[in-house]
Amino acid sequence: MSGLAAFVIALLAAASPAPAPSPAPRTAETLAIRGGTIITLGPQGTIAGGTVLVRDGRIAAVGRDVAVPAGARTIDATGRYVIPGIVDAHSHTAIEDNVNECTDAVTAEVRIADVLDQHDINIYRELAGGVTSANVLHGSCNPIGGQNAVIKLRWGKRPEELLFEGAPRGVKFALGENVKRSNFRVPGATRFPVTRMGVEVVLRDAFRRAQDYKREWEEYDRKVKAAGPKGEKPLPPRKDLELDELRDILDGKVYVHAHCYRADEILMLIRLADEFHFKVRTFQHVLEGYKVATEIARHGAGASTFADSWGYKVEAYDAIPYNAAIMAAHGINVSINSDSDERARRLYWEAAKAMKYGGVSETEALKMVTLNPAWQLGIDKRVGSLETGKDADIAIFSAHPFDPSTRVEMTLVDGTVYFDRAKDETKGPLTSAGGAQ
Amino acid sequence: MKRVLAVALLPLSIGAAAADAPRPVVIRGARIVPVSGPVIENGTIVLADGKIASVGAAAAVPGVAEIIDGTGKTVYPGLIDALTTVGLVEIPSVSGTVDTTETGDVNPQARAWIAVQPHSELIPVARANGITAVLTAPLGGLVSGQSALLRLAGSTPDALTIKQPVAMHAVYPTGRAPFDISRLFEEPELKTFEDRVKERRQNQEKELRRLGNLLEDARAFARRTGADVDLAQEALAPVARGEMPMVMRADAEEDIRGAVRFAGEHGLKLIVAGGLEAWRCADLLKEKDVPVLLNVSRLPRRESDRYDASFANAAALARAGVRFAIVSDDASDVRNLPYEAAMARAYGLPAEAALRAITLSPAEILGVADRLGSLAAGKDADVIVTTGDIMDVRTQVTQVFIDGVAQSLESRHTRLWNEFKDRK
Repeated sequence: MSGLAAFVIALLAAASPAPAPSPAPRTAETLAIRGGTIITLGPQGTIAGGTVLVRDGRIAAVGRDVAVPAGARTIDATGRYVIPGIVDAHSHTAIEDNVNECTDAVTAEVRIADVLDQHDINIYRELAGGVTSANVLHGSCNPIGGQNAVIKLRWGKRPEELLFEGAPRGVKFALGENVKRSNFRVPGATRFPVTRMGVEVVLRDAFRRAQDYKREWEEYDRKVKAAGPKGEKPLPPRKDLELDELRDILDGKVYVHAHCYRADEILMLIRLADEFHFKVRTFQHVLEGYKVATEIARHGAGASTFADSWGYKVEAYDAIPYNAAIMAAHGINVSINSDSDERARRLYWEAAKAMKYGGVSETEALKMVTLNPAWQLGIDKRVGSLETGKDADIAIFSAHPFDPSTRVEMTLVDGTVYFDRAKDETKGPLTSAGGAQ
Repeated sequence: MKRVLAVALLPLSIGAAAADAPRPVVIRGARIVPVSGPVIENGTIVLADGKIASVGAAAAVPGVAEIIDGTGKTVYPGLIDALTTVGLVEIPSVSGTVDTTETGDVNPQARAWIAVQPHSELIPVARANGITAVLTAPLGGLVSGQSALLRLAGSTPDALTIKQPVAMHAVYPTGRAPFDISRLFEEPELKTFEDRVKERRQNQEKELRRLGNLLEDARAFARRTGADVDLAQEALAPVARGEMPMVMRADAEEDIRGAVRFAGEHGLKLIVAGGLEAWRCADLLKEKDVPVLLNVSRLPRRESDRYDASFANAAALARAGVRFAIVSDDASDVRNLPYEAAMARAYGLPAEAALRAITLSPAEILGVADRLGSLAAGKDADVIVTTGDIMDVRTQVTQVFIDGVAQSLESRHTRLWNEFKDRK
């Protein structure tokens, strides 16, 4: 192995999330989910009275006439609706009290994967809302918050087993009021920035430093190569964990998930990204995205927004529930996220609001909590629709997911049943006598 | 148009309206959901002079009226959100727009309807999804102040106000220090668990004694003639006499039980707000006939609770026979009230009961069921027309009438939508 190759491998290892990704846990059980209405959100459309065959944690077949092998366990979904597991593109679940590293304006080096708490009961509660994957992000305290962790809600597994193996790395950015700390006072010295001008300066400065850092290492690599195996080794530049990550953004290896509200700050980041030749993968919240939908579409970013939250601060005063529909009509990949352990449990109805406000089709609305967020996280080849070969991440609803009486009956991740309402029901209904726990 | 013509065709009792009253409205051929009675398929409802003139399968139709074809539509009473801060807050992070919480912690003399902003952008947003009346209540402290029931139409606070005061609002003391973000970064004082519990209990008892004394003083004040002016005692007097309800925020089982006990000791007419663990003491609430203003979409209080404890709370209360209304306990989110009810429905509350919890039940709890909350002749003409089930997110509200007047469904949101939807 050449020195360079060894170096590159070492560098990649250092830059990837802390625990080495383990292969997807596989279940030996073969399952046939039969009799339900299957909303695949894939090329097969919606299949009434169909079967989803699950083998080795993956979808082996979907269709009306699927041959079920002998010995397969059957899940009767008659009268029920079977949809892909919900993907929440903005979550802070399973990282209690570890959301913000506020001390510095740029903390690209801190990693959510280091603080995953597998005991967070909200993992289970969200499974009970049909959620199977989540983009666990830092908060919005600083312009560059840190490295995300895309997880699967494998309740009961160890933290490293929650990680969505192979999911692209991402870094959380934040713009606007929270970064400026407009709405609360933090004791101690004021931290730059306190204006949207300052936010831009912090980002520009960070990427200028990242460019220099990239050049230094490229120069070093050239010298190593020129010296050859027997030549004198040049002195390597100082390794910088923060700039490693930013350099990888410049190299297109790391997604940017940017918290933003106002149209001006969205345009600011698009211009900055264009100037430094990187792409923003998603604008998060992006409540004024509808005002600059053309520009977001041109940049090629996705948009992950609330269905209809508004008015809770000044930068949310122009938020409108038509945001998702307008952005989608401009060709943007749009998702509806929760940003909340509570709201994550009812994302299916949040998606329905895109139909109500702006007339998005039923299929497109459902994609806003499944296939679209999967694309935004770079995991759409694995999850987000019910197609042969994809992970068996599945939610089974008692009625159409948009129906006002619907609820999730069962949720599977990798073909394993992680939530089964029938088991909770054995605890009995809620009564004063304390029957339920 | 000539009003005389219309009046001539209507019962005399509703003919005495002002000259500028709108012309009668007839909605024909609709599915009518009166809430107080069985659903009428293909029914007709007549609104005249601000009241519901008739509801029925074959109601008389006045000659000069606006006729609305209700084919395929569903008609409901306007929805009532029995716990909000609408009109008292525009943007929570901008203190200049926040009038929810007076300084100090005993403010029975603070009255919500004094500070209501009729031109709040939040009002048309809520109205456009069928909410026609809200209880607006002050927040915080021990005694927060008095609430008013508002109609979501009108240009002055008086025009908005349906009824005031409705209730005195208080927070059941938990003994815990209120959340203070500026103290978040302080080193916590090291104390044993036992000491912390003891301290909390002591604080709680102190606060309860204080509240009890305030009520005693108010009772004494009311008996005295020629007493010095004391607005706080004057305001508390009807509460102490058990005439004006006291809405107490309480979520934990022990706090709900404590509130019920306190109300019993002091002869209060109690309404519990929040009620996260109301299901744990449903029998007690039934026995003492304490209604609950319930907020559904919340995380369960304890990790060991069933995941759906807050969703199934309403169904448990219904099974026990407890009276309750489902509320948003919010301002900007009021429009989602029907989906709060839907979540309770998805987790065991019958659909009719879920609808009742955002219409007739809040009207009863707030003491206005003679005017609001159902579709019946003589009631206020607060009526909404929809494309389907109001609890279904996909349903559109096509018309909203408040006091028989058709309301605009435009809002800040539709204006911005129209401005930007076709921007290239």
